[in-house]
Amino acid sequence: MSKPVTIIMIEDDEGHARLIERNIRRSGVNNEIVPFTSGTSAIRYLFGSDGSGLDHKGEALLILLDLNLPDMAGIEILQRVKENKHLKSTPVVVLTTTDDSQEIKRCYELGCNVYITKPVNYESFANAIRQLGLFFSVIQVPPAAL
Amino acid sequence: MGSRLARDNRALGQILLLAAGFLVLVAISTLSVVLVNQARDDNDWVVHTVEVENQLSTLLLGIRTAESTARSYLLTEEQRFLDEYEAAVASILPDINELARLAGDNPVQLDGANQLREPVQARLDEFKRAIDFAKRHDMAGGIAMLRASDTGASARRIGEIADTMRAEEERLFRLRTKTADRTEELASIVTVVGSGLVVLLAGISIFLVRRSTRARDEAEAKLRDNNLNLEATVDERTSDLREANNEIQRFAYIVSHDLRSPLVNIMGFTSELEELRSDIFKRIAALHLAAASSPVPPAPEGDTEPVLDATDQQLRADFSEALEFIKSSIAKMDRLISAILNLTREGRREFEPLRIDMRELIEAIVTTVAHQAAEAQAEIHIEPLPEITSDRLAIEQIFSNLVDNALKYLKPGVPGEILVRGRTKLGYAIYDVSDNGRGIDPKDHQRIFDLFRRAGMQDKPGQGIGLAHVRTLVRRLGGTMSVASELDKGSTFTVTLPINWNANQRNRDR
Repeated sequence: MSKPVTIIMIEDDEGHARLIERNIRRSGVNNEIVPFTSGTSAIRYLFGSDGSGLDHKGEALLILLDLNLPDMAGIEILQRVKENKHLKSTPVVVLTTTDDSQEIKRCYELGCNVYITKPVNYESFANAIRQLGLFFSVIQVPPAAL
Repeated sequence: MGSRLARDNRALGQILLLAAGFLVLVAISTLSVVLVNQARDDNDWVVHTVEVENQLSTLLLGIRTAESTARSYLLTEEQRFLDEYEAAVASILPDINELARLAGDNPVQLDGANQLREPVQARLDEFKRAIDFAKRHDMAGGIAMLRASDTGASARRIGEIADTMRAEEERLFRLRTKTADRTEELASIVTVVGSGLVVLLAGISIFLVRRSTRARDEAEAKLRDNNLNLEATVDERTSDLREANNEIQRFAYIVSHDLRSPLVNIMGFTSELEELRSDIFKRIAALHLAAASSPVPPAPEGDTEPVLDATDQQLRADFSEALEFIKSSIAKMDRLISAILNLTREGRREFEPLRIDMRELIEAIVTTVAHQAAEAQAEIHIEPLPEITSDRLAIEQIFSNLVDNALKYLKPGVPGEILVRGRTKLGYAIYDVSDNGRGIDPKDHQRIFDLFRRAGMQDKPGQGIGLAHVRTLVRRLGGTMSVASELDKGSTFTVTLPINWNANQRNRDR
């Protein structure tokens, strides 16, 4: 693994973003975190100006995705990532307030790797993120295209 | 109202018309019978007149026969003529009597007939004398006598009376013929007019019947239209309601979701503040120590509480208290939001009707609450319960909520008695869950079914959701529920559910 994994965090709520980042750091993960507060900017970054996703060919990425975005449905980003030939092997962690079973089922069907519901209880929240850190440390993130 | 009046009038008109038709028929029949009788009488009278004339002619003929046979006898002296003469004479008197009898109705003619008797008798006597001449073979005397008598008073008298009588009968004949004609004419007029009236009434009847048929057809068409409109309106309203309901569900769902997002932040940063608090007060303690510049070694690192003076301790306590309030409020708000989410999710779940053994279901609920029951020293009795067809999960939620509540709100220190009873009535199963607990003030009976509202002493945990949820479920299952209770006298919750709940009927409405 030549390049360290970059964490792409797509989260419109800056408070949530800050809390997630803090807890990731606390769990001992020091990878670079690139935050986006809207779906559009995240799409632009991920797929590049030509929309092909070629920019990130060979990079090791991990996407943290909130489903409730102001400009588009997070599930659409998930779908596009999993359909793109350069990005489809990128792990996607859905981290959202929605705990509707239909929604969860749909995310897994589309290829989401982990689905985490943000609990209001902060202990649980921090715990979930730390476990995610653990997950980061064991997961083999492949380069985004072969 | 107006149309009803018009309809009544129409019905009345038809009855009157029928009655009029009937009366006309009766009148025509009666008149016809009367007139026919009248015509028959008139004709009888005409015939009678002819008979009287006939009889008069017969009488005159008899006299003439007598006269001519008498003459013939006088001329020939043949016995044959004498016999004929005698037969004629013998018939004359009865003829007069017959004439008198026939003319008996008319005093003038009767009088005439009686007047005839005397000259006829005189004439007969003359004939007899003539015959006597013949018998004495005095032919010439007889002939002379007859010739004289032919122009004599008697013969003249007979002629006069007969003429008078004939004239009278002629007059009567004309009169009676005229009367009979008029009667017949009248009869035909009555028949024609009556028939015309009947035809006219029939025509009016047909017109009225056709008019009312048309009115009925129009009313039927209108009714059909109205029905169609009504159905369309009901469909429209139903879909509006369904739309509104879905809208509310979506709204509640979205709102509760969106409320949760900032709540995560508030809770998260409050917890972060809590972390900061210990750091801050550790620093304050360290600063104090530095300020005191005592040679005491620095406070040992770790979980031990930093040493603070009284003011700072107070500050720290206030800080903690504020944070605790914030956290407990957030926790409460989270529970409320979760409750709303669950309710909306419950509202969207499709119900599936199944045959449910209620006793088994209640027993299962009682098993799950056995621990709480033992703690509250409560006994739960189950009487025989009717089976129903309904959604199992919803029924479970309804009754476990009610049993939970019964256990939860018992009177402290009094052993609990909880009774579940059931009966059926008119296609509905009625279940009672009664307890001997603290009861509910009647003024709160409505309030306890409202979302997030509770009643009585607030010494038990709860969000005020259970009964609201139960009532929503009962309504969705096509039932109703009510409570009977007084403070300190226990409560009875009554759930009425259709025995055979039809899912399609209900889901279609949603």
